[in-house]
Order: sequence, then C-alpha cells, then structure tokens
Amino acid sequence: MILYLLTIVLLILIAPILLSYIKATKMVLFFKRPVPLLQGYRNFSKLFSKETIISEETSAITRYAPFLVLSPLLVTMFFLPPIVGGAYYVSFVDAFTITGLISLSTFFLMLLGLDSASAFGGMGSSRESFISALVEPAMILTIFSVSLMADNLGIGQAGVNLAEHFPKEHMASYLFAGISFFILLMAENGRIPVDNTETHLELTMVHEAMILDLTGVYLAIIETASSIKFVIFASLFASLFMPFGLDFIAPIAFVIFVLKLFFVATLVAVFEVNTAKLRIFKIPNLLGLAIVFAFLSLITFYVLGD
Amino acid sequence: MFVFDTLSLVFVALILLGVLPNLFYSSGYLPHIERKGYYQLHYFAFIASMLGVVVSANALVFLFFWELMSLSSWQLILTEVEDKSTIKAARFYFLMTHFGFVFLMLFFFIVGNGNLGLDFSAMHLIASEFAYPGLLFLFLLLGFLSKAGAVPLHVWLPYAHPAAPSPISALMSGVMLKVAIYGIFRFLLDVLYPWPLEWGILILSIGALSSLIGVLYALSEHDIKALLANHSIENIGIILIGFGMGMIFDSLHLEVLSTFAFIAALFHTFNHMSFKSLLFMSAGAVLHQTHTKNMEKYGGLIKAMPLTAFTFLIAAISISALPPSNGFLSEWMIFQSLLDSSHLTIISLKLAIPFAIFSLAMTGGLAIACFVKAYGITFLGLHRSTNAKHAKEVNFLMKSGMILMTAVVLSLMLFTPFYIQWFDKVFVSLGRASVYAKIFPDGIWNMHSIGINGGMVSPLVLLISLIVITALMLFAYKLFGVKTRLHKTWACGYTTSAKTQYSATGFAGPIRRFFDWLYKPNEHFHKQTIAEHNTKFTSAHYEVHIQPLFERVFYQSMVKLTNLISYWVYRLAHFGQTRYAAMIFNIMLLVLFSYRLFTHEFSWALFIFELLIMMTSTKILIIGDKK
Repeated sequence: MILYLLTIVLLILIAPILLSYIKATKMVLFFKRPVPLLQGYRNFSKLFSKETIISEETSAITRYAPFLVLSPLLVTMFFLPPIVGGAYYVSFVDAFTITGLISLSTFFLMLLGLDSASAFGGMGSSRESFISALVEPAMILTIFSVSLMADNLGIGQAGVNLAEHFPKEHMASYLFAGISFFILLMAENGRIPVDNTETHLELTMVHEAMILDLTGVYLAIIETASSIKFVIFASLFASLFMPFGLDFIAPIAFVIFVLKLFFVATLVAVFEVNTAKLRIFKIPNLLGLAIVFAFLSLITFYVLGD
Repeated sequence: MFVFDTLSLVFVALILLGVLPNLFYSSGYLPHIERKGYYQLHYFAFIASMLGVVVSANALVFLFFWELMSLSSWQLILTEVEDKSTIKAARFYFLMTHFGFVFLMLFFFIVGNGNLGLDFSAMHLIASEFAYPGLLFLFLLLGFLSKAGAVPLHVWLPYAHPAAPSPISALMSGVMLKVAIYGIFRFLLDVLYPWPLEWGILILSIGALSSLIGVLYALSEHDIKALLANHSIENIGIILIGFGMGMIFDSLHLEVLSTFAFIAALFHTFNHMSFKSLLFMSAGAVLHQTHTKNMEKYGGLIKAMPLTAFTFLIAAISISALPPSNGFLSEWMIFQSLLDSSHLTIISLKLAIPFAIFSLAMTGGLAIACFVKAYGITFLGLHRSTNAKHAKEVNFLMKSGMILMTAVVLSLMLFTPFYIQWFDKVFVSLGRASVYAKIFPDGIWNMHSIGINGGMVSPLVLLISLIVITALMLFAYKLFGVKTRLHKTWACGYTTSAKTQYSATGFAGPIRRFFDWLYKPNEHFHKQTIAEHNTKFTSAHYEVHIQPLFERVFYQSMVKLTNLISYWVYRLAHFGQTRYAAMIFNIMLLVLFSYRLFTHEFSWALFIFELLIMMTSTKILIIGDKK
C-alpha cells in the first residue's frame, strides 16, 4: 500500500519535469539553449502567486471546471498498473473507465473554452471535440487488444500479466497495438503532428486556445492537468509496452520505471522534432492510422489464435 | 386480458418514472397552451394507452392501446400548430406509425392463427410451427423499429419530436420509444424464442448503424429539439446493440452472457428514459423563454436560468456516457458484453464484433462533442439574441418537474445494484439464467463483468473519489485565499461580443467537413464584398442545411418510384376498352400460371414456356404497336 501511494506521488511529482524535459530535448536538437528541467515547477509557483483574473463574460463553469478537469485525471492515477512487483494496485479498472475519466476531464475543458465567449475558446473546443471523438474508438480498441494479449480486461492486472508472461507468440499484434497507442499518446497530449502547445498561432492552436482566458491558479491547475495527462499516457505506455523491470527491489524498480518514462519522453521529443504540424483536416488521417493499427492488432490476434 | 408479470411491471415502472415528473412539467406548461381541454384529454389518453400497451395480454388489447397511443400522440403534435411544417411532421408521423401498425397486425394474424383474442402465452406454439419464422421476425422488426426509430425507419423522428409541445416531446422521446422496446423484448423473448444466430447479428448491425447515424445527424443540427431527437436514434441503437449481443450469445448457448447483455440493454432503456426526458424538459424550458428552437439564437443562459443549466448539464454528462453517470454504467455493461465476444468460437463473428465496438466508441466520442456543442452554445458565452437576453427561469411547476427528473437520473446512478437486481428478476421470470450474484458478488460496491477475466467498475467509489478530490481542491483554493478579480480578458485585440463567439454551425464545422461525403450539405453563403475584393466584405451570411441521407436516398427514391408507377397506371387508365379486356385476360393467365407453379412441381421448361406466353400476349394485346 505504501509503495502504491508512493508511486502516485512520484508520478505526480515527475509530471512537470517530463514536459520540461521534452521541451529541453527539443531545444537541444534545435541547437538552442535548453530550459532547465524544473521549469514546470517554476511556472507553477509563478502562476500560483499571481492573482486570478476571470473574464467578465464567464459563468460558474469557469470557477468549477478547472478543478473538474484535474480531478478525473487524479482519480485515473490510482488505477495505473504497478511499477514495482508485489506492490498494491487496483487490478480491475478497464479501458472504458479510463477513457471515460479522461473524456470527463476533456468535456469540462471544452466547456471552459466555450465559457469565455471568445472566438479562440470556441475554436479550441471545436477542434478538441473533433480530435477526441476520433481518438476514443482507437483508444478503446487498442487497449482491448492489449488486454486480450494480457488475458485480462483490467488495465492494472494486464500490466502485471504482461510483465510475468511476455506475449512472444503475439508479437505482431503487440507491435501494432504499440504503434497505435503511441499515435494516441501524441494526439491526446497535444504533441506536434496534432497540436502545438508552444505557439500561440491561431492556425495551430487547440489546447492553448481553450485556456487562453485563464490566468493564475486556474491556469496552473490546467497546466498541471495536462502534465498529469501526459504522465498517465507515458506510464501506460511504459507498463503495457515495456513490461520489464518489475521484479527488482523497490528503489531499483522505481529508477527503471522513471528511466522508461524519460525514454518515452525522448521518443516523443525526437518524433516532434522530425514532423511538421498537420493541418486540422489532415489529423483524421493520422488518427485513422491509429484506428487501422488497432483493428490490425485485434485481427492478427484473433486470426493467429490463442 | 391483462398481464402483470415482471417484464410488464418493469415497464410500468419505467413509464411511471417518466410520467410523474412530466405531470408537473406539463401543468407548468399548460398556461401557454390555448386548447387546454384538447391537450389534457389527449395527454392523459396518451399516458393511459402507453400503460395499456405494456400490460395487455392479448393481441387485440395490445393493438387497441398501440393504436390509441399513436393517435393520441399524433393529435398532441398538432396541439400548437404554428406553421405548415408541424402539419407536415404530424402527417409523416401518422404515416410511419401506421406503416408499422400494418406489420404488427400481420404478425399477430399469423402467430394468433387469425384469432386476435389469443393470449401471448399461447402464441409461442403457433409461432414455432410456422414455416417461415424469418418472416415473423421481419414483421416484428418493421412494426416495432418503425416506432422505436431505428435506421432506416427513423426518418420521421427528427421531424415529429420537435414539432410537439415540450412535455410531449419528453414523453414521446423518453417514454414512447421505450414502449416499442418493450414490444421487442416481449415478443422476441416470449413468442419467437429459439432464434437463429443471424437475427441477433441483424439487430446488432441495425443498432451499430443507428447509433452512428443518429449521433452524426445530431451533430449537424442546430435546432435543439431535433438534435435531441436525433440522439434518441443513437440511444435506441445502443439499446439494440446490447439486445443483439444478448441474442447472439443466446443462440450460441451462452446463457449467462446473454442475460448480462439483455440487462445492459434494459438498463440503458431506463437510463435513456431518464436523461432524454430531462434533456427535453430543459430544452423545453429554454425554448419556452426564448421562443425559438434555433441554437444560434441562444447563449449565456446559465446566468439567467441556473437551474435549467444545471439539470441540462447532469443529463448531458449522463448521455455522453461519462463516468460515473448512469449512462456510463449501462454503456459500460454493453461494452463488456461486446468485449466478451473474444470468447466466442466462431472466428468470423469474432472478427466482426470489433466493428460494433468501434461504432459504439465512436458514438461515445461524437456524443461528447455534440453535447459540448449543445451545452456550450446554449448556456455559455454571451446571448446571441434579445430573447435570450431577457430569458428568466421558468415557473415553479416546470422547475419541480425538472428537479424530479434529475432525481430519477441520480437514483439510477446511485441505486444501480437495486435496479439491476430487479432487471435480473425479469429475465429469471422469462426462464433465463440469473446473473445478479455474478455482477455484484461482493456487495453493492463493485460491478463485475460476467466474462472470463472481465473488467470491473465501482460506480460509487468513482463518484465519491471524484467528489472528494474536487472538494479538497476547492477547499484548498478557498484556504489559500487566492485573489480573484472579474475583468476584461485579452481577446487578441478584438472586443468580445456575441458575434465573435463560435456558433453551433461553426462548432460542428470540422466534423461536418470530415463527414462531408455523408452529409452532402446545402451551403448558402452570401457576402457583400467591397470593391470586388473576395476577402473584404461588409456583411456575410452563412447557413448550412443538411438533409439526411436516408431521407434523400431511401424515401425520395420511393416517392419517385411511386410517381413512376402512378404515371403508368394513369396511362393504362386511358386505354381503350379492348385493352382492358386484354388486361383481364392477361391477369387471368398470370393467376392460372402462378397457381400451377406454386401447387404443382416446379419445372424450368414449363416456367419459361409460360413466361414466353405471358410476354407475347402482353406485347401483342396490351402494349401493341409503337406509335
């Protein structure tokens, strides 16, 4: 139980560092001077000490939505697969619940975008709703396929099962699911081919457009939420597609897991540097690819047999 | 004459749960109806007839109440005739509902052996001896699905439901559609019981198609009630997916899984009743205040109508299947039964069911988009018209109706185990396996999936943890005493006004553009350009109208075909007398030949010979020389 809680705290603490790390890696690859890894914390403390300004046009939604954006993600943190063998974990929560919780968070984020009556908020919400509608089927199919390989629909149990019994006989479908999940990781977290969180150019904005009106603590909460969302996806990727290193004693297993997270972050950074932002109407092609890979993974699993 | 078994009683409860809040709402709405007596008469007849349908025990009583239900709801649509479109919608509804009625009657004539007074329990024997059970199934589908509004018989629904007064829309969409679902449950489980695998697959495909089509057309709507009506198509589709899975499992002799899927379908039936009624009530309140159904004229209503906005939000979360709402729980159950398909042994079926999973997941995603649009454009931002500016909260009775309905939604969420236990009894009484103990093996906290290594969800734990974490954060926020100031925020150099907000049309823009091949929208775009510059204009007007594909392809081609036939009939009517005589001769030949064909042994040589005779005589005697 103590390891379980420790894991959650660790993941929450490491979340802002991971996003700063991606940014720093990208800057290094662009031959720029990188931001320090603690930039996320700096931003947080700066925003936290600021006064909160709320737009005159807003309603009660803006006052509650930031909390409702963060809390489903925090609840999801409790359902992730364990990172140390023998630690307590919630074994039973399945893909549908986790996608549901993430959607709940996105739902309130989209309402937040529409609340301030600015054209930007609406634009962001509209695009986000388009993207997340296409992400949902791919996400469910991919996790379904992975849980078939792991022989359990519960995500936590699936992570443990994969670590104990690596699906060598289903490498093809495992690989397809991995590709699909990586695309989803990029799409859901607003990474480059889908969204660019670093610019404020109206052509490229999705996530930033929705939160353009927020300042102070509210912005800090939303930023925390997006870093936590990234850490959820990264740790799901690490537990489901790199299922090793659970057998070591706790400190080493922790270190291995953190290294895995940083590996995922590096992968994301390298991928981002090498691709261009897609036009909004080209995004379905990318997500369609994810859906096709998810289907392929399921079909190869079924056809090649258990 | 009447039957009060568990299935009937469950549906009686469903109707009562839907009707009781509606009574309050309706009496609050009454002052705005001119023909009060007329409205009240039909309103109560409508409620009574729905109750009558679900408790009737023989075909005659069933058909009587069914017809009464159709006629009273038809008259209710016509209570407030504002324009011609209402009359047109009512006429369409009348036609479609009687289209279904004919097939129901045919069904009853066959399974009752011509005796309409026969009890349902006696029909099973006759039905099992009938040579073509597929025909009976087809009649049932046409009869009930035309009422329930499943694709492709859904076309009347987005016209009829919005045209009725709001309490009636809530009743029709929330409750009446469920009466058709009752019919499917009753006659498929009771009368036509041992069914082949194909029937289940057919129902599953209809469900998957309906859910996607419904939500896609809902997204493109900007009439709020038509949007909700399209969502009814979607949810009926989801119910049918659950039901179809149940049938598939049953025909493969997986009794436990089949009961689980049936319970999921029944649970979603209840959930849809609750949140759809609530949505129609809240939308009705908005409509009542703003006097328009067009979402582009709303905006900022959360400030003037906080209660309506709150109830709409609860219902929107529930219909979008977001945890921990009741809509989520029933969709979770349906998902679990779809995922259980991995244990099937038929490989082609195993490969096909992921497509249903895909369409259900896609529906979920699009429903979220649609309700963000419906909620955000209606209640958030700035008001887009003066009517929206002067909107006030509705009167006490209407409010209490909405509050009661919210209570129903919340009760379905909080007391899920209780409801499921009750639904379980329905299927036990119909001779199925009991699964309650398997869904809730260790108390009421955890809801298990039935399949091997299935998932699990703890609705109450989810709800409590969400509430606790949110409350803690809010408390911390208050504790830190963060300074908050209301002020104008930076809108990139523009002043924020109602015109700069996103519109409903704009919000659905990306999705509409992506599904362009399906929508084939009619775009009207006028702009007043300055000095012929294409990009500079003083005013612009953009409107999109979408005519549903099925209506365009299916129904309009039907109209064209009918026109063609009537043209030929018209030409025949102006033939000379000799040709009439020749036609009678030909028809006699046809009858004789077909009689021989059906009663005696079939042989191709004779068939071709007779066909040649028919063709020759038709050519010579009727068509004659070309002029």
